[in-house]
Amino acid sequence: MQITVKLFATFRQDRFKLAEQDYPEGTTIADVLDALAIAAPDVGMLFVNGRSAEPERRLASGAVLAIFPLVGGG
Amino acid sequence: MLSHEELQRYARHIVLRDVGGPGQQTLTAARVVVVGAGGLGSPILQYLAAAGIGTIGIVDDDTVALSNLQRQIIHGTPDIGRPKVASARDAILRLNPHVTVEPHELRLDAANAREILSGYDVVIDGTDNFATRFLVADACAALETPLVAAAVIEFYGWVTVLMPYATAPDGSRNPSLKAIMRQPDEGRAQTCADVGILGVVAGILGTLAAAEALKLVLGLGTPLIRRMLAVDVRDMSFDSLDYAGEPAVAAADET
Repeated sequence: MQITVKLFATFRQDRFKLAEQDYPEGTTIADVLDALAIAAPDVGMLFVNGRSAEPERRLASGAVLAIFPLVGGG
Repeated sequence: MLSHEELQRYARHIVLRDVGGPGQQTLTAARVVVVGAGGLGSPILQYLAAAGIGTIGIVDDDTVALSNLQRQIIHGTPDIGRPKVASARDAILRLNPHVTVEPHELRLDAANAREILSGYDVVIDGTDNFATRFLVADACAALETPLVAAAVIEFYGWVTVLMPYATAPDGSRNPSLKAIMRQPDEGRAQTCADVGILGVVAGILGTLAAAEALKLVLGLGTPLIRRMLAVDVRDMSFDSLDYAGEPAVAAADET
């Protein structure tokens, strides 16, 4: 199934800004993070179709997943 | 009433559509507090002062260091070693003597946050750590005060407006900071001291945060409620990401 992945800030480095990726049915957000070599504790915000989500969440085909790192400097 | 000198000072606001004399008087009567007088706080404080926000609170317990000056542009080389609230207050009064500054030289904690932040119309968070960010967000939610939150690191930043006590016309409640952001374990998040920041990134995000605060005071335009503006200066891209509210209680079972 197709998932649109949007990465933000430092997660873009050596990866991408936006990609349509193919994942098997039943893929969770945590699986996508693993595939992208993103450690879950480094994630600040996760949105699926604009709704905040937890890493255990299963993704549906066509989902848009936005992943923000912890950006908290001032 | 604005004095003759103030009418000249704010002339470009007074001729501006949707601001005008009444808007300027609203700004002059407003009370806004900025948490953190650092990279984000510097341009925020400067633009609030220049705009004539009548009372500006500054919360910071730090002193000015040489390594701050690459981005914390409200402070100058002669201010090194001085409390940031004192240095910022002096800079604000040089810019606009009509502003009343309320310096709070302390670190916010669970015991004092609500008391310090109460009585302000808008709170702007430009702190450098997540513990204070969540503390400020909790206090603003309890006080029912709009919070403009911004953050930066390296070449990146984000800004949003949080009003979790308010609901949309469909009954859904605006999310809290906790509802959209995970509070990291102490020491997990990288800081500007660890990985650096291009100084101007703080200027861009601070200016955006100040714009949102002025809009909230004036009741102007569409604030970044339920919207995250993510800025990437490497690509010079601005991504506006909508995020949903909490479902209304009656509809919660259906989702």
